[in-house]
Amino acid sequence: MKKIALNGILISLALVLSYIESLFPTGLIIPVPGIKLGLANIVTMFALFYLGFNSAFTISVLRCLLAALLFGGFSSMLYSLSGALLALLVMQLLKLGYDRLFSLLGISVGGAAAHNTGQILMASLMMRNTAIFAYLPVLLLAGIVMGLITAIAAQYLFYLVDKTGVVKHLS
Amino acid sequence: MRLRPRPGDFFIILIIAFAAVVLIFSMKQADSGEKTALIIHNGVVVKEIRLDTLNHTETYEYGGEYPGVIEAEKGRIRFREASCPDQVCVRTGWISENGQIAVCLPEKIMIKIVGKESSGEDTDILLR
Repeated sequence: MKKIALNGILISLALVLSYIESLFPTGLIIPVPGIKLGLANIVTMFALFYLGFNSAFTISVLRCLLAALLFGGFSSMLYSLSGALLALLVMQLLKLGYDRLFSLLGISVGGAAAHNTGQILMASLMMRNTAIFAYLPVLLLAGIVMGLITAIAAQYLFYLVDKTGVVKHLS
Repeated sequence: MRLRPRPGDFFIILIIAFAAVVLIFSMKQADSGEKTALIIHNGVVVKEIRLDTLNHTETYEYGGEYPGVIEAEKGRIRFREASCPDQVCVRTGWISENGQIAVCLPEKIMIKIVGKESSGEDTDILLR
């Protein structure tokens, strides 16, 4: 399959997941700004493992831009973009130890923690005050749980894709 | 292809959990009995309310893109109403402990409770 077509499909998939996530009232249960499931990270991990860093980067950036245009807004884009890029960077680094040191579980949890840290950094810049870091511990602990869930989902996706043989796993 | 946890996975989870716990304890402030709420709008402290000696209900109305009302009583403070889309600030409810915060990200306004008046060394680092 053409890589560019696959990139397009993955961007729309990530966008749909971001939208579904925005319908989930996670903030209702835990009233902390920026808390969420991180479903779009499934797509980022897939891109990272099957298409490489450049594709994963493009998909993350375009997903954040389009989500802002469609249902977020400018400032929510800044939060998600800083989170997504930091997460991608950390996951790319952890991926170097894939299979030897880490499974998808560790990579996903590390990505989630990086995402939360990136968000809080951007939020403290926007609020011009560091007090917002008080939310970081809750976000980190929630990120561990969410990271494990998305890792299991991603693993199942990898399994299904490998069965079809449409895209080859980068090794 | 099964999901086999590797040793590094546990390491990552432990590190993050440890960091969270350290952060919680480092931000905990001793309860000196004195409680002051700082209302910080766009990075500027716009109002200070001494909570422990407050004996009436005090309100603070703020403007901006998403105006709202902050309400303080003896020992506690909250966002009573806000016109922001996510309402996270209102749902946070009352806060009463030193070090606790309530935030409205869309309007860039937050309430922080500190143990001393802000003129002490408790002053937040302003990033501007």
